[in-house]
Amino acid sequence: MKIKITRPNLYLIIMSTFLLIFVLLFSFLLLIPKGKNYRMQKIEFKKEMKQLRQLEDLNSEKVATLKDLRVKNRRVIDAFDAKFSVDRFDTLNSKYFDSLTISKVKTPTRDDEFDIYEVNTSSQISSPKSFYNFLDSINKGEWIIAVNLPVHFKRESELIKSSFTMKVYCSTRDSNGSKVSLVSK
Amino acid sequence: MKYSYLASRKKSPVTSELQLILIFFSVTILVLLFTYLFLLYKDYRFMQDVVSITKQRAELRTNIEDMKDKISFVEKEIALSERIYTDNTVLKDSISNLFDLVPQRITLSEALLRKDGLTLYGITPNKDVYNFMLQAPLRSIFYKTYSSFYPAENGWLHFVSTNYIKSDDINED
Repeated sequence: MKIKITRPNLYLIIMSTFLLIFVLLFSFLLLIPKGKNYRMQKIEFKKEMKQLRQLEDLNSEKVATLKDLRVKNRRVIDAFDAKFSVDRFDTLNSKYFDSLTISKVKTPTRDDEFDIYEVNTSSQISSPKSFYNFLDSINKGEWIIAVNLPVHFKRESELIKSSFTMKVYCSTRDSNGSKVSLVSK
Repeated sequence: MKYSYLASRKKSPVTSELQLILIFFSVTILVLLFTYLFLLYKDYRFMQDVVSITKQRAELRTNIEDMKDKISFVEKEIALSERIYTDNTVLKDSISNLFDLVPQRITLSEALLRKDGLTLYGITPNKDVYNFMLQAPLRSIFYKTYSSFYPAENGWLHFVSTNYIKSDDINED
């Protein structure tokens, strides 16, 4: 039996076949690999976003911790940031002493992240209570001051002469945490 | 000369079947192309977003490290201040205890508080008063205690009491 295909129908079949092959090739060679790639990228993107969100949360947590620390310890941080002034120290603490002489022993030494000024102090007090009050006041004062041993007390008629050295700690960083250069007074 | 009363049907190369097939394939190819273009666009966007996310992550990591550094510095400041405040308070208590330790009958003229001990200079009516009322409590506090006496003009005794603590107990700064 002979199949009789007319010429227009033959053209139609050839064109349909050609288009079908084009569609199949386009789909299998380009579209489907791209689709797979898209799906993988989407999964990868979600992972990246998750990591980003975790980092954002961690960052917020650290910012909150730092803020909380700074709020709770404002006085201590300010005390470390404050530059030591002999005159200001004299003004604030002269009420505890009958006479007070202070002088810086040497230029500050740098201990890791702190400058340490050594201050020589000699004073006259009427009773040890004044000295106790002075020690209480420096713990609440504008600077971080450590009174060093030796502490020497000597009776001079009705007064007690005391002499000792103090270490004044100053932060070498500014309030934002970045290091600043050492400024010698 | 006409052979039919009907007007002749114009013949076109685009037959209805061809039209149908062309429409079908055109729509299919258009859909496929749009899908492909959409995927290309999304691919480009993903690339852009990944670059941006990587940058943000790097910035956040730097920021977090910076925050950690600042937190550690503030904690260091707090720890140091607490140690200094405690040392000052301990010093105050030590001086207070020292002066409380000295009995009424003994008069101190000089006191030197050192890291490794204490030296007291003063005057006592006699050795017994010194031994029972000052040296005994000093012995209980210090590891080694040495005393020396020399006579005063009023018949009393000047004393020098040198007291040492154990070297293990000395706190270095």
